[in-house]
Amino acid sequence: MNETVYTPTSSFAEELAAIPGGEAVNKCIQCGICTASCAVARYSDEYRPRQLIQKILLGEREEVLKSTLPWLCMTCRLCEERCQEGVSPAEIFHAVRILAAREGHVPQSFRHVVSALIRDGWLLNDSYTDFEEDDREDLGLNTELGWNNEFLKRIKKLIPLEESE
Amino acid sequence: MREILLYTGCTTPVRLPAYEAATIAVLEKLGVKAREMTDVTCCGAQYIESISPTAFAAMSGRILAVAEKEGLDILAICGACSGSLKITKHELDHDKQLRDEINDILADEGLKYTGKVRVRHLLQVLAEDIGYETIERAIVKPYTGLKVSAHYGCHVTRPFDIVQVDDPENPTILDRLAEIAGAEAVDYAGKTRCCGGPMLAMDESLATKIGQEKVNNIADVGADVILTACEFCDIQLTQVQFDDNFDASRRIPVMPITQFLGPALGIDEERLGFSLNRIDPQEVLAALQGGQA
Ligand code: SF4
Ligand code: SF4
Repeated sequence: MNETVYTPTSSFAEELAAIPGGEAVNKCIQCGICTASCAVARYSDEYRPRQLIQKILLGEREEVLKSTLPWLCMTCRLCEERCQEGVSPAEIFHAVRILAAREGHVPQSFRHVVSALIRDGWLLNDSYTDFEEDDREDLGLNTELGWNNEFLKRIKKLIPLEESE
Repeated sequence: MREILLYTGCTTPVRLPAYEAATIAVLEKLGVKAREMTDVTCCGAQYIESISPTAFAAMSGRILAVAEKEGLDILAICGACSGSLKITKHELDHDKQLRDEINDILADEGLKYTGKVRVRHLLQVLAEDIGYETIERAIVKPYTGLKVSAHYGCHVTRPFDIVQVDDPENPTILDRLAEIAGAEAVDYAGKTRCCGGPMLAMDESLATKIGQEKVNNIADVGADVILTACEFCDIQLTQVQFDDNFDASRRIPVMPITQFLGPALGIDEERLGFSLNRIDPQEVLAALQGGQA
């Protein structure tokens, strides 16, 4: 097998390649099919999956980790179906998020949701009012939803999240 | 009657209870009892998944272990939940170190993941466990002259290697179910594209544009209803039609597949919650043979 690497690589790319999901980053040949198939790229002026991968390959570590762009990926994996090189931008940006989170860069909207999750164990506790209860009752569904709100508190230490400023 | 544990996820019970009720009623009609899981948490999709692989595996892993204790498979009706549970199962089955780590956490509650439990998305239960023929035989009131367009949901069908639902490039389960119920399934541009739902956390207006493109493509082919297999997609594809920039005259009802199949299977309308649909499905129901259920 030909092991020649055609693309630039960097210590940042190697660092990501060590995180599950990030392994394939060095296989990217920068063809741009991912950007062409991405619905987010279509409507956003800034989000370009190929370009973000290029920044990783070029070693723009701080810029990428502090950016909100990797958090815009919807993980719809259309790009992954289309990429001919076996690269999944969704998985690579997932690895970027894990690394960014370890270093304290988590977008505010994610922080809010995660705090609520730790408190309630599920996402919509605050939205479950008498109205929704009545609808459930009319449909013959149970109204006590029975979510577990202990487990998340027990594993809280696994979740890297500084208190929001 | 066969039994399966229904993991509803966080969103359906609050925002789309008609999907939950219709799913229970339809499966019951087709010989499967869906019993709702309790004492579980959110699966961890997107939010925890993005920041802690271990906490994510613990959350989804605990749900798998609770089902294992009951000795039943899990039914997921949400794309995100079915994705989380299947991806976690895959990881726990292939990474012994992670499995040991998660089992250490679960041991405090007397739970253990060994790999016995299967995760089934609703489309798999309908198409594979129950089967098209059984469903076809159970149709008592088919639709006539109705055009439907299917939206599958990215996390329902991708990544195929792990989720094993339908063909991700050319999915057909919803289309076939609709045709069995007497409708005509019509394709549209961007059928396998995302509804935009996962973008809501970061940029609502971007999410709306992505969803509207989808609905507009469907309106262009003249579909009377959009069928879904995930509550996130269902809510998103409905919501974007109420945005100021969307032409209200182009609104198309959105229905989860079980709510759509319900009346054709002769299930009482009260159990299917049509009055809760934001876009009135009266015209869809009027296409049932012999009029509305
Ligand atoms: S489609 Fe694949 S190879 Fe091409 S730029 Fe995107 S990730 Fe790289
Ligand atoms: S997975 Fe992310 S990068 Fe790929 S097409 Fe979807 S939104 Fe774009």
